[in-house]
Amino acid sequence: MSAYLARRLLALAPVLLWITLISFGIIHLAPGKPTDAAGAFNPKVSLEARQRMEQLYGLDQPLPVQYGRWLGRLGRLDFGRSFVDDRPVLEKIAERLPVTLTINVLSLALVLGLAVPLGVLAAVRPGSAFDRLTTVGVFIGYSMPSFWLALLCMAYFGVTLRWLPVSGLHSLEYESLPRLAQGLDAAWHLLLPVGITAFVSVAGLSRYMRSSMVDVLRQDYIRTARAKGLPEPRILFHHGLRNGLLPLITILGLSLPDLIGGSVIAETIFSIPGMGRLFYEAVMARDYPVIMALVTIGAVLTMLGNVLADVAYAYADPRIRVGKAL
Amino acid sequence: MAIRTRLSLLAVAAAVLLAGSASVHAEEPAQGDALVVGSIGDASRLLPILATDSASGDIVGLLFNGLLKYDAQLRIVGDLAESWKVDDGGLTLTFTLRPNLRWHDGVPLTADDVKFTYEKLIDPAVRTPFSSSYELVQSVEVLDARTIRIRYREPFAPALESWMMGLIPKHLLEREDLNTTAFLRRPVGCGPFRFVRWKTGELIELVANPDYFEHRPRINRYLYRIIPDEATMFLELLTSGIDLSGLTPLQYQRQTDTSLMRRAYRKFRYPSFGFTYLGYNLHDARFQDVRVRQGINAAINKQAIVDGVLFGLGSVATGPYSKESWAYNPSVAAGAYDRARAKALLAEAGWVDHDGDGWLDRDGQPFRFTLLTNQGNEVRRQVCELVQEQLKAVGIDVTIRIIEWATFVHEFIDKRRFEAVLLGWSLSRDPDLYDLFHSSKTKEGEYNFVGYANPDVDALLERGRRTFDQAERQRIYQEVHRRLADDQPYTFLYVADALPIVSSRFRNVSATPIGIGYNLIDWYVPLAEQRYRRMSP
Repeated sequence: MSAYLARRLLALAPVLLWITLISFGIIHLAPGKPTDAAGAFNPKVSLEARQRMEQLYGLDQPLPVQYGRWLGRLGRLDFGRSFVDDRPVLEKIAERLPVTLTINVLSLALVLGLAVPLGVLAAVRPGSAFDRLTTVGVFIGYSMPSFWLALLCMAYFGVTLRWLPVSGLHSLEYESLPRLAQGLDAAWHLLLPVGITAFVSVAGLSRYMRSSMVDVLRQDYIRTARAKGLPEPRILFHHGLRNGLLPLITILGLSLPDLIGGSVIAETIFSIPGMGRLFYEAVMARDYPVIMALVTIGAVLTMLGNVLADVAYAYADPRIRVGKAL
Repeated sequence: MAIRTRLSLLAVAAAVLLAGSASVHAEEPAQGDALVVGSIGDASRLLPILATDSASGDIVGLLFNGLLKYDAQLRIVGDLAESWKVDDGGLTLTFTLRPNLRWHDGVPLTADDVKFTYEKLIDPAVRTPFSSSYELVQSVEVLDARTIRIRYREPFAPALESWMMGLIPKHLLEREDLNTTAFLRRPVGCGPFRFVRWKTGELIELVANPDYFEHRPRINRYLYRIIPDEATMFLELLTSGIDLSGLTPLQYQRQTDTSLMRRAYRKFRYPSFGFTYLGYNLHDARFQDVRVRQGINAAINKQAIVDGVLFGLGSVATGPYSKESWAYNPSVAAGAYDRARAKALLAEAGWVDHDGDGWLDRDGQPFRFTLLTNQGNEVRRQVCELVQEQLKAVGIDVTIRIIEWATFVHEFIDKRRFEAVLLGWSLSRDPDLYDLFHSSKTKEGEYNFVGYANPDVDALLERGRRTFDQAERQRIYQEVHRRLADDQPYTFLYVADALPIVSSRFRNVSATPIGIGYNLIDWYVPLAEQRYRRMSP
């Protein structure tokens, strides 16, 4: 098993190299330079001043040299400094990560808590009124543009009813609140962003859950269990769900990079300073070091998620345990 | 840009000494409360010489002062400088600082700090884009703690504006690498507000400086909330989550026209510094003929554009200056909208509808061109459509093409691959237009991209830069205005209004030619209406 793991991990290195090379090429092919924000189309900034800035950032070097330098720094786990504010890239990421992680973990928990029971219940009697109702509901949720739903909720709960804050992470007087009130304040602000983020994902996941459960409940061993006279909940949750959950493992493994990649739309609408906005703003400003760092981290997590899903799969399902085959 | 944004709506270096403006009101200005400002973007570097984006400029303008500033009527007055002298026909500037100036950490602010700021501005290792304004400086000499003398290689009138750049503290930055110093995220300035904290992408908090040399700002705190989405910003206004923000013309005229909004807010309006124009590629044979450009100018109904696109919240432009500027020449006519005259001018240039298909032609070629503008600016797109419609009426076939900004600048403007563009300039308060219209500024990446070359205008622009005498400068730039209106290298379309909205609990707010923020330290909220009481001063 560990030999297999080592081999899988080793095989990732060349893939990663390719990913970085291609992303580096693509972002440099896009028109525009990091120095545009400071200088382009501002008559107070002369051509010479702009050229000097490009020199200071090393942007006058040929692309292979720039890539080589970047790779050299990466070897020392140094992602460089942002072109926008000259802060270390890792510091910028570390600052944004907690918010995004909190929202994504909370919403993932909410999604699992809702999608699994919904899927199971719909699968118990496929075609029943409950199944059809959830199907309709789920498809409405799936096809609803999240930014539109978010704006509607903000306008209704925030402006009309005044139950929830419109945007932001904290109240303006947060710092002067007592500790308990601070916690409540944060939760109050997170309600809508987490709810909206989860709402859209529940739709997809509950469908997976349903179809996988429908398959499982048709199996012979379920009939056997019924024939033995086991109580229905035990059949469903002990025998059925354990097998029905298997496809979810793959999906969860693949969603590992999503945990740190925030949604640009949700973060922009709710004024939340998270990873999604960091990436979007970096792309807009052609902030190459930040873009490259986020692409690299995203690629590593995607690949790790794949390996992890395979391993977890083998753990959960003895039939495909790789150790034997090897 | 820092200089421009520092003076923009939200950015206020300091108040003008409007003697007794507070005493006009019966009530005593109360101390307290906070002003919450909504901004689309976050700041990046809180150091005047590195602040290039408008958010950084807004904050830096409250934390740092320069030697000079513009007053409410756009006159140059002393800020940190108590007085200044221009000698040798502009070759020498001497500034005397106010007495007892201090940085926020209590250390005295002296002429050494001025010299230090200058040295950093021209230091090739510092990543500042503003060095070009200081290239003509020959020497900067500290005469005593409060006096500094600056010599120029040749007279340079825009130099006065360049000394509005915020000063930076020598004692804190001497040993730092300015590009990466921690100071950029927790600055120590000398302005009316002090830095408290900066939560990236969320909030920047400032607190009133009790020792500010004019007087302590009446408002205790200044909170700069970053709200990247315009729809969210408007919802925040509806719930009073922010006290000050800019509006779009549509929001100004329609969406804020409710009884709730009228009670809770006051709207202001004043001309922005800048204009929107139709620029021609003057290397294109058709546009080289001045009659063609004048014909197009006469064919465009600018008032219809102002009314239709800006809901009337702007004014027709006759040249590059707004009516409030002293450089504006009131005798230049707006190039009145006159379709018959337009057709006559175009016919004179040989453009007549010979084949009767509805489009003008010359030598068998129909008059057809592509008008380029940048993506993401809804107003410009609409203006393009109106121009297209109006030129169609005189027989010119216009195709509109909208292009992403970076591509637009580098692939089309820089490489001169355009026939006509629709763009806007936002300019500083000094009327110098050397970079836009001087014939030497036509290299790739420079701003006379239309390729305008008129020796008379060149001479005027050069003289304007060398002249310090205000009356003489006024004559020069009014003449520039007239020449540009005659030559039409651009067809100047309109000057849009800036449209800020401010919570009605703030008193002493008024719109002036420079905007509303010039007297921020005199704004106050009566005790009974104060909202943020938990925040201690």
